[in-house]
Amino acid sequence: MTQNYRLQAAPVSSDVPLISNQEAYLNIALIKAYHENMPMREARRLALELLDRLGLAHIALRRNPALTPEERFYVMLLRAAMVRDARILIDQPFKMIPQLKDFAPVMAALKKIDDLYFSCHIYDYSWMKEKYGGAGS
Amino acid sequence: MISFWENLGHRATMLFLAFADTIAFSGRVFLRIFQRKTYSSAMREVLVNQIYFTSVQILPVFLLVSIVFGSLLIGIVFTLLKQFGLTDFIGHVLMGLIVTELAPFLTVLLITLRSSAAINTEMAVMKVNREIKTLETFRIDVIDYLLAPRVINGIISIVLLSSLCSIVLLVSGILFSRLIFGMGMDVYSKILLISTNFSDIVIALVKCGIFGFFITLIPIRFGLRASHELTSIPVAVSRGMVNVFSAILIIEVLSLVTKLF
Repeated sequence: MTQNYRLQAAPVSSDVPLISNQEAYLNIALIKAYHENMPMREARRLALELLDRLGLAHIALRRNPALTPEERFYVMLLRAAMVRDARILIDQPFKMIPQLKDFAPVMAALKKIDDLYFSCHIYDYSWMKEKYGGAGS
Repeated sequence: MISFWENLGHRATMLFLAFADTIAFSGRVFLRIFQRKTYSSAMREVLVNQIYFTSVQILPVFLLVSIVFGSLLIGIVFTLLKQFGLTDFIGHVLMGLIVTELAPFLTVLLITLRSSAAINTEMAVMKVNREIKTLETFRIDVIDYLLAPRVINGIISIVLLSSLCSIVLLVSGILFSRLIFGMGMDVYSKILLISTNFSDIVIALVKCGIFGFFITLIPIRFGLRASHELTSIPVAVSRGMVNVFSAILIIEVLSLVTKLF
């Protein structure tokens, strides 16, 4: 069971940055291409499709330093969602996107890709609870 | 006095341990190259990109350097052979010295200066940016994804580019043999065929493969030794490059020793 959790863990955190010598869509495609041996062409197409789902197709060819914090966060989120039966672990989203006023945009993005992951867990300090609309623990 | 011997012993031990560590690590990477699971589609993509960066992008500069340097070298060697009355040895000099020794050496120097330095820096930057940790977090094996494609690319690139350099040098030889010795192409090719020693060519190709393996493996290894501070990048790169050049010299000497037996 613990082994499964370990395999499903898919962190979204500033401690787990994007690979800077690869474009945004390749960062997303890498997970399926490596773990499931998905042909690279197919993995790329899937990554582009998912970026498009979040309205971010235009950033596909940008690399990490050229992304805004928000774009970087969503690319990290999609990369995490690529893990099979992903248990997405988002670590302090407001630290990653400083200009984020409330959690609604992230929730909307999570809803758009809810077919891709098994569960999503958000970790933040208790004093940030208000920003999440008082939900969760 | 005791402190001097202590220091010397300590340094010698450290050097031996570092050498043994590198050899053990090389063994692990070498074995991984032959495992099927290493070749995921992600790894194959990196491999193709690496071959493009190392072997294809460099082609114009490599050809230019090979032509200029090769012609110069062939011109000097042929002139000296004529001056010393050693015209009979032209074939042996061409095959034994220029094709099997100088072409691989020139190639490995060019690729080391261009690609090894780039790989060393790339790895150090990835380590500093915690990108290596990212790969580990997503359970992507660093040896499979980063090392194996670069090392395989090193082997393929050095073998191919060295062969290309040899061809350029032999073509220059046609021109200079005509200019200096008034030799026709049929005579030139006959001399080459007679002087060609199959075992020399095999040794040269194996040497190229070993060069390719180490001039990519050592920079990666030293790049990965960088800490999480930016200031560790230049240290990792300079140490890596010094060790790569030491490895080139050691391999060159070992190949000469092999030839003697």
